Amino acid sequence: MTRVATVLERIVCACGRLAAWAGVALVLVTMADVVTREFTQSSWGTLRSFSEWQQNAFGSTKLQELEWHLHTILFLLCLGWAYVKGAHVRIDVLREQFSERARSWIEISGILLFLLPFTGLVVWFGLDFTASSLAQHESSASAGGLGHRWIIKAILPAGLFLLMLAGIARLLSCIAQLTGSNMGRAADRDR
Amino acid sequence: MSLAETLPLWMFAALAVFLFSGFPVAFVLGGLALAFGTIGIAAGEFTFVQFYNIVPRIWGGIAENLILVAIPMFIFMGTMLERSGIAGALLRCLERLLASVPGGLALAVTFMGTIMAATTGIIGASVVMITLLALPPMLRARYDPGFAAGTVAASGTLGILIPPSIMLVVMAEMLNRSVGTLFFAALMPGLMLAAFYAIFVMLRATLRPELAPKPDPALIDAETGSVSLVWLVAAGLVPTAALIALVLGSILAGWASPTEAAGVGAFGATILALFLPPLIDRRPIGQWLGQFPVLLRDVAERSALTGGMLFGIFVGATAFSLVFRSLGGDDAVDQLIEGTGLGPWGLLALLMLVVFLLGFFFDWIEITLIVLPIFVPILEGLDFGDHVARTDLLYWFAILMAINLQTSFLTPPFGFALFYVKGAAPPELPMQAIWRGSVPFVFLQLAALGLVAAFPDIALWLPKAYLS
Repeated sequence: MTRVATVLERIVCACGRLAAWAGVALVLVTMADVVTREFTQSSWGTLRSFSEWQQNAFGSTKLQELEWHLHTILFLLCLGWAYVKGAHVRIDVLREQFSERARSWIEISGILLFLLPFTGLVVWFGLDFTASSLAQHESSASAGGLGHRWIIKAILPAGLFLLMLAGIARLLSCIAQLTGSNMGRAADRDR
Repeated sequence: MSLAETLPLWMFAALAVFLFSGFPVAFVLGGLALAFGTIGIAAGEFTFVQFYNIVPRIWGGIAENLILVAIPMFIFMGTMLERSGIAGALLRCLERLLASVPGGLALAVTFMGTIMAATTGIIGASVVMITLLALPPMLRARYDPGFAAGTVAASGTLGILIPPSIMLVVMAEMLNRSVGTLFFAALMPGLMLAAFYAIFVMLRATLRPELAPKPDPALIDAETGSVSLVWLVAAGLVPTAALIALVLGSILAGWASPTEAAGVGAFGATILALFLPPLIDRRPIGQWLGQFPVLLRDVAERSALTGGMLFGIFVGATAFSLVFRSLGGDDAVDQLIEGTGLGPWGLLALLMLVVFLLGFFFDWIEITLIVLPIFVPILEGLDFGDHVARTDLLYWFAILMAINLQTSFLTPPFGFALFYVKGAAPPELPMQAIWRGSVPFVFLQLAALGLVAAFPDIALWLPKAYLS
């Protein structure tokens, strides 16, 4: 059981680590947008023609849409990873007083009652949401924007699905801990 | 009232109970949205199809939202400045500059809090960072532990108020107001508070020099090595301050949107991190550059985790608010408010009290995302006559709430910034000393809160003067 948990966590972490680079890309794209928009009036010929080329080839609208696309990839695909890493905020005033076993029980109940149903619902409707975007051949509302909107919309159910996997992984390791097959402190591996 | 009418209120009661279970806030919010939606279906107040709305709400409110894109980049900027050691160098530089002023080390911490405010977002993280950096030097210089801890806690929390703070971006989003204008409104109150801190620190150090002895020059030199002061200022202070001034200035001057400025700030911080740290310490740059990819990945990953945490609560709160609204939550709150029979000032005081008490247990993220949307309809009904124009009311309220939250984080015994100081401080620093040291700062906060409440122009004059 803990082996399944480890594999699931590895998948979730790998996706999160990869998505983290979307943050770097986001910074670069924003910077490129600001600079090339400023320098289309530059007196330095090379820079001006490069900026004009960029603005004509991609355009500010495309870059700005790319910005929120990257932001969406970044935060959604990191939700599950943040759970594995214990980065999600907990109110731990009382939690500090609880025993190991109590914490495991709370984690199991929370995952079963809150996390799995919620992620399940959002994944289910999120797939609908993506499918209807695909069926309508939805594209950007503004001229010169990015097309194929369904691709980025698919990130929403994907991100919540990763969170669900992270939840299942934690559930398995908490159960393993309660049944004594693993002495690791499953509910409390935060940080 | 029937059960169906009180359902939204039960939702809040359940939230309060389940949050204290210690299960992550984001998931409790989402799970309760689902649970109460289901109860609502049973009571005939909700339909299953309405759950679908959660998805477009998350999409439109959080994903396809160019304003919120500023947040991951501000987090990136702050993390980069911290992890690369630039933030630490800034503090060491300020310490040396101010070494001969009464209370110089504490004053350096105050300035550091003000300058780095741009890049501090999450209270826990920024208080821990400033405690780790600033408390040990003060204790080594034999500062009174309470005085030192109080200064650290207050300066570490100042970041939520001074623009460009992430909290202000979120507040503007929840209030449906302009981020730039809110930055403008926060500038004067933030600087006023920083000035209060600085004056208090200097007065106290002058009146009771034994609390803040002048550090031994040898000790300071040991901290910064053999680097000359001029060099330290040129490399450790000027570039960082210039970057932050550029980010803030370009937003305030209207050259860039907060999102663009955040991008420039994050990029600039990365460029600074590329060559500045070895330059400050006069280390060979080759070795530093060799390690840079590792630093970049570390910063990207830490920022992504912080963002995942923040936007996780965003997702949960979106679902929670949607179900709360659909169950008639706004009406239920309205009835409660009417039941109190309070006038505008009474209601304002009540809302402030609620925020203050919530601040004992929750970071601004939860409070802003869950509570602020519920306040908006109440606020829109308030009429302060000539005291505050209706159009400016929400900006004024946001600033009051920001100062109030910061006060709450600092108030003993529960203020949770104080626990973060305790956690990051050397173990011999007793909690009582931290509590004692934070009390004067709480009074400074309350003075600022009272001033902004009595004279709204402290917040509203600057946006009016510049933006009209």
